[in-house]
Amino acid sequence: MNWNKRLFIHVMLVCALAATALAQEMTKEEWQKQMQELTAKRDELKNRMATLQSEVDNLKRQDSDKAAALKKCEDELMAMVGATAASMAAYEAELNRIDEKLNELARLSNQELWNRKKELDDVQSAITNAKKNKMSALPKYYDRLANQQSRLDALRKSLEGMTMTYTVGTWSKDRDCLWNIAKKPTIYDNAFLWPKIWQGNRDQIKNPDIIRPGQKLKIPPKAELTAEEKSAARRYWQNKQAAAVPNNP
Amino acid sequence: MKKSLWVMLVAGSLMALVGCSNKPSAEELQQLEALKAEVASLERQISTLDSERASLMRAIADKDAKLNQCTQDKTLVEQRLKAMQ
Repeated sequence: MNWNKRLFIHVMLVCALAATALAQEMTKEEWQKQMQELTAKRDELKNRMATLQSEVDNLKRQDSDKAAALKKCEDELMAMVGATAASMAAYEAELNRIDEKLNELARLSNQELWNRKKELDDVQSAITNAKKNKMSALPKYYDRLANQQSRLDALRKSLEGMTMTYTVGTWSKDRDCLWNIAKKPTIYDNAFLWPKIWQGNRDQIKNPDIIRPGQKLKIPPKAELTAEEKSAARRYWQNKQAAAVPNNP
Repeated sequence: MKKSLWVMLVAGSLMALVGCSNKPSAEELQQLEALKAEVASLERQISTLDSERASLMRAIADKDAKLNQCTQDKTLVEQRLKAMQ
């Protein structure tokens, strides 16, 4: 290769390098163009930010106003039912106790539930008391109490139609008579309901004063005496009274 | 001789070409970088404000719903209290 050719190649290489260097570096015109574009963008962003800041400030004011209005409404609601934080906590604790009792009773078999049916009455009276409190009008408690009442009603319903039996013991050991049986806490816990047992076992009890050890008595569900049961009791007492009056000679 | 002449000619032309081109000064380039940084910072601030605005709008909507519920509750409680008397 002669030196002219080599020189030509070198020149071309140098030119290429110089062109690359020039292409990478920014020209004054490019700088001006970029400066103009960026300045316009910065101004636009500043305007947008000012608008946004004003919107955010306005929203903060609105948020604060809404919070105040909400607090006022909640305070008024509490005042309507005469509730304070402490009384609400106590009321809630009472409702929790009722829930716990209902859960406990719901886990029992019907037989066990029957034996503890007095506790159903206790729960009913707790619910009734809770309903008398003005706080029960608050939606969160109102719905909860309604739910507790329906759970209790369901438990009572599960005992409906269920026939319990009681095996009569001896007088000397158990002091079993209809009066004493009705008085037992596991039966009616109310001696005056004895006619219910009598009327429920008319097939095997002719005279309520006479029941035999080993006799299996059906125990109807606890309830007020029916008109028929009251009438039977009245007849019994009248007969008893008549028998006690000495006959005229 | 001829070779050195060529080399000098080419080098001279290149120096003239590169040296005489219209380039921004270092100070101007710094100005451009500062402007870029300012734009980036503004974009970040706008993004933060956008998030804050969205969050505030959600909070306001939530409070509106609660306030509405509270007003309904008051009416309901009033009726229930009347029924209790």
